Amino acid sequence: MSGISRRQFLAAGLGAVGTAATGVGLGGYVLPLLAREDLIPGEPPDLVLDPEAWTITDDRVSFAAIGDNGSGGRQAMAVATSMAETYAKRPYGNVILLGDISYYGNFADRYEDVFVRPMRPLLDAGVTFDLAIGNHDEGLRYSEAGYDEIEAEVRMLDVPGRFYMQTYGPADVFLLDSSVPGLFGPRSSEQLEWLDDTLASTTSKWRIVAMHHPPYSSGRHGSTPRAEERLVPILERHKVDLVLAGHDHHYERTVPLRGVTYVVSGGGCKTTKVGDSAFTAVSHRILQFLHIQIDGDRLVGTCIQPAGQVADRFELRAREDR
Amino acid sequence: MRRATFDRVAIVVYAAVDWLVIMAPSLAVKLAADRGGLGDSKGLDLVFASAAIATPHAVVAARRLRYEERTAVRRADIWIASIDALVVLALSTTLLVVVVLAFFADEHAALTNRGFPVVLLWVGIQLIAVVMAEVTGRVVFWWLEPHRPRRRQRKVVDHPRQEVTTG
Repeated sequence: MSGISRRQFLAAGLGAVGTAATGVGLGGYVLPLLAREDLIPGEPPDLVLDPEAWTITDDRVSFAAIGDNGSGGRQAMAVATSMAETYAKRPYGNVILLGDISYYGNFADRYEDVFVRPMRPLLDAGVTFDLAIGNHDEGLRYSEAGYDEIEAEVRMLDVPGRFYMQTYGPADVFLLDSSVPGLFGPRSSEQLEWLDDTLASTTSKWRIVAMHHPPYSSGRHGSTPRAEERLVPILERHKVDLVLAGHDHHYERTVPLRGVTYVVSGGGCKTTKVGDSAFTAVSHRILQFLHIQIDGDRLVGTCIQPAGQVADRFELRAREDR
Repeated sequence: MRRATFDRVAIVVYAAVDWLVIMAPSLAVKLAADRGGLGDSKGLDLVFASAAIATPHAVVAARRLRYEERTAVRRADIWIASIDALVVLALSTTLLVVVVLAFFADEHAALTNRGFPVVLLWVGIQLIAVVMAEVTGRVVFWWLEPHRPRRRQRKVVDHPRQEVTTG
């Protein structure tokens, strides 16, 4: 090879391979990862809220729902700050965590970073937290470590179990463990039977189901396989009003599907792409949480972004037979 | 295009790419923040921090290329070395940030809890990346360039000129 020395050939070859690898690796994976994740540490909200400033009566309640907020990063802190600011204007006594409450490490180690720091103002105000277990929390589910992780979450958040029901004023909220094999896997019958029986016996005006995996979603993960055949018939049979989920990192509300409205509220700290499906009423790739106000036979949901912008507002009417 | 003009343009383009490579991670974070609906000012601190490193480094890189153009025996060595430096810069600026932030989340969260400004961490990581790229560029250039073996200087001894006579 005349004109090119062996060293030049080696260095140029490494440069060419490096350029190709950099183009593919950075452009296709690392930079999108950096944009998708919430890796930058953030300052927690610095607010002092009036303790127990909310009102709960038999026909009135308000609460919040947030999903996939477990980074402890800057974006998680911004959403948490917005939650605290919303509390200051419209106090609420409960928060539903829609799963994935700890990224980049296990919950027991990151409890302070991903839960206490962002939620400190709400915790100090006496707000209680309920949990729908998410898949990130069960990534090692079949190992001892995986069970330990779920046990730690249940214990540290002081919730009754992996799946349970809570009553918020006029609403019964069913918190499910939608992770495999929790709801859709081979050992799902226990939880589905419990849900079927408990929904059958409830007399509340509002029925809300909270879970991590969305039955309907136009996002990155999409609609959860087998949800439509195993879970949706139960929800429809018992006339559930609203299903809250996370998993996909966006906000999406469906049109009422045979009477049930499904909301994905997974923008607690990260965002991913979302499209529009035939069932979509509204979808946004945004950071957000959901504020829900129930007043008699009217439920108003508001999707709130970190700077306080309202991305969606919807209203449901209670079923006539309740 | 004359060769001198081409060289000048190439150096400016290289410096601009160098600048963009350092800025890319902070711009990715800023775009994500904007898309998510964070306030306008969120993420700007990292953009400014990266700009504070990228701008002087673009100048340093351009000066390095100009110097190498003056001294190089073979022009190809300049561009091979500078492409290698750019690859190292691109990989290290982005990968180092991701690795440090993702795999040591507890450590920097703990630092933030104690009021440590995250922008210092960001600057530190990018400085390391820039130093690695500069070292790569210079070392590879030196390695590629032909070096004449140094001759031992001979002592100059005055010998009386000898008359050579033939005949």
